[in-house]
Amino acid sequence: MLLGLVFPTGGTATVLGKPLGDRKTRRAIGYLPELFRYQEWLSAREVLAYHAALLELETRTRGRAIDAVIESVGLTGRGDDRVGTFSKGMQQRLGLAVALLGDPPLVILDEPTSALDPLGRREVRDLLSALRERKITVFLNSHLLTEVERICDRVAIVDRGRVVAQGAIASIVGDSRSVRIRAAGESAMLDATAARFGTLVREDGWMTITGIEPEAIADAVSALVAAGARISVVEPLHATLEDRFLELVRKR
Amino acid sequence: MMIALIARLQMRELVRRRLALVAGLLTVIIGALTAWGLYSLVHHVGRNGTTLSEPMVRAAAANIVILLAFFFTIALATGAALVAAPALAGEVESGVALVILARSIRRSEIVAGKWIGTLVAIGMYAVLAAGLELALVRAVTGYLPPHPFVALAYLFGVAAVICTAALALSARLPAIAAGIVAVLLYGVAWIGGILGAIGTSLDNERLVDAGTIISLIFPSDALWRGAIYALEPAVFVAAANTVNTGGNPFAVAAPPPAAMLIWSAGWIAVVFALAVALFRRRDI
Repeated sequence: MLLGLVFPTGGTATVLGKPLGDRKTRRAIGYLPELFRYQEWLSAREVLAYHAALLELETRTRGRAIDAVIESVGLTGRGDDRVGTFSKGMQQRLGLAVALLGDPPLVILDEPTSALDPLGRREVRDLLSALRERKITVFLNSHLLTEVERICDRVAIVDRGRVVAQGAIASIVGDSRSVRIRAAGESAMLDATAARFGTLVREDGWMTITGIEPEAIADAVSALVAAGARISVVEPLHATLEDRFLELVRKR
Repeated sequence: MMIALIARLQMRELVRRRLALVAGLLTVIIGALTAWGLYSLVHHVGRNGTTLSEPMVRAAAANIVILLAFFFTIALATGAALVAAPALAGEVESGVALVILARSIRRSEIVAGKWIGTLVAIGMYAVLAAGLELALVRAVTGYLPPHPFVALAYLFGVAAVICTAALALSARLPAIAAGIVAVLLYGVAWIGGILGAIGTSLDNERLVDAGTIISLIFPSDALWRGAIYALEPAVFVAAANTVNTGGNPFAVAAPPPAAMLIWSAGWIAVVFALAVALFRRRDI
């Protein structure tokens, strides 16, 4: 709908300040669909040249713009190969290059790392971070919540077509309110000390204190040391986006 | 600008996917077979040592040219349907269309580009194939049909009707269904034309009306009859006008009336507009 591919049955919306599907606005949007396919009988460079023409990029600068996106997605040296000879991961890289061509201020990426190996994912993550630094808005749609958590500033969780939560990651996930400590020492003494800061659960030599305020963690560690604990690990436990997602979706 | 871009890409696809190469090779093979057949005819020696007289050779050549034209109409018709149908629907089905339609291009420009790309490719093929065949016939027998360019224009008209229909169908139907339906419509129109001709020869108004209605709904056969008329030597036309041909689809007594040509042009314009309208509101 944002790109005018599907028509709304009702309501209104704007993209970059213009009504949904506005033709001119689409020039300012780069798009990588989830089910990406490019003309397999063209070379990567020809696909990009075609999109450069669709974008009406200036003829003089087209070559440079194409080289730049080919390099940024790691397809250097493969630009003249036919798309039909590309692996799924390489086609996805080409898709990213198509989306980034012409430096659009808004890039919509639907599952941009679905076909990539861990190295490719890492590269895309770095690429997206670089886009963020260039003040380019990236609208990322993904089921890989750990990826989302690492890359995104703001998230919206959609369940059955409705937004059930949205905002900055921290505001959705919430602060860390528990800590895991590995400590040796006299158990009863340590347990009594730890219990002053929150609810204590002991398991396999680990003490987990839940309900502790983040700023009280240092105090808890000092108190435990004073009680004779020899501490080897202190690990604040963060709720993950995935935990929050499951919580929100199961609630409904 | 955008239309030309889409049209060029459409033609490039036909070359890259080797369709142009295969069509060219098959046409050369057919040309070689025709030349060999005509050569055998010209140099035929009967049991009693007689050869065919020149009028007989020319009559045979005229018949062969009409049959060749029929073959090429089928090739052009199916070619137009099978190239135009996947041009829209195939790209939507494969997902190639997603990133193209998300650009600031109008959907009407895509339909127009695909239409022009297909027609230019088919037109080029028609000119080259017909040129080759006629040159071979001329070289071997010395015969040239009376109005080869007019015939070619009619054949192109047939292809344009089918291409436009396939494109309109593929704006909503899957590629393969659109292609098959377009070819079937061409077949129905051909049979409708024969019904009309049989009606004329039997003086049966109902059959004539049925033929006319079918040709108004799908005007490919009316144009094909124009092509035959342009290829018929005067003596064939005279025969078709005096002898009851019994609906013979290869004998035509008169060209399609001007009103039919205007109707066909209008038909193509309306169906093209329909293709644009259908594709414009399609969810991709």
